[in-house]
Amino acid sequence: MSTELRVTPAASGPSAFGNALAHQPALAGAFFDLYGTFWSHGRLDHVSKETARLRNARITDCGY
Amino acid sequence: MGEGTWLTEATDASLPSVLRARPDLSGRYETLVGGVWRAGVDPHVLELCRIRMAQQLGDVAGAALRSPEAAGLDEALVVGLDRWWSHPGFDELARATLSVAEQFALDVHGVSDEQFAAVSQRLGAAGAVAFSFALALFDGQSRLRLAFATSERTVSS
Repeated sequence: MSTELRVTPAASGPSAFGNALAHQPALAGAFFDLYGTFWSHGRLDHVSKETARLRNARITDCGY
Repeated sequence: MGEGTWLTEATDASLPSVLRARPDLSGRYETLVGGVWRAGVDPHVLELCRIRMAQQLGDVAGAALRSPEAAGLDEALVVGLDRWWSHPGFDELARATLSVAEQFALDVHGVSDEQFAAVSQRLGAAGAVAFSFALALFDGQSRLRLAFATSERTVSS
């Protein structure tokens, strides 16, 4: 896996992921709307969500 | 893996029905899915990648589905997906995208700079972002079908 950015950032925010997604503003908006709802609502507690997220990141070797 | 979903809140066994058990999420999910198909990448290219990824992940139902957004897809190409690299019906864009899609499903760390560049040179930065996002979505959809044990036959979004 490359450590170099493969997509020129379309924004200058703190998140490289967000800066890449900025090439597709409508898509980014839809994604963050869904993602934000997932994190701010629902029956599953935040500790369980974050534990699953961290475990998934480890398994997929995602440093972010 | 069993047949049919074990999620009792679903009205039928389709993935959209299962997701509607969480209406606050399903509406936003469907908006996101629709956005992927309208983000500027040829829907037939996306559909071929979606089907190929489903095949690789063992998502039989997903591989059998046909997305309405990609209506008119040449079924001969679907039949030829297991040898796309030598099949004359696949153009350079299809080959570049299928190469990344296959690696994405198997091990995303294995996607090389050269593979990604072949896509971004043809689609541009915005297209490459949309394409990558589509792959992540398709990968997730197949894994959700497998996790939920859904057995849908049509795709509504």
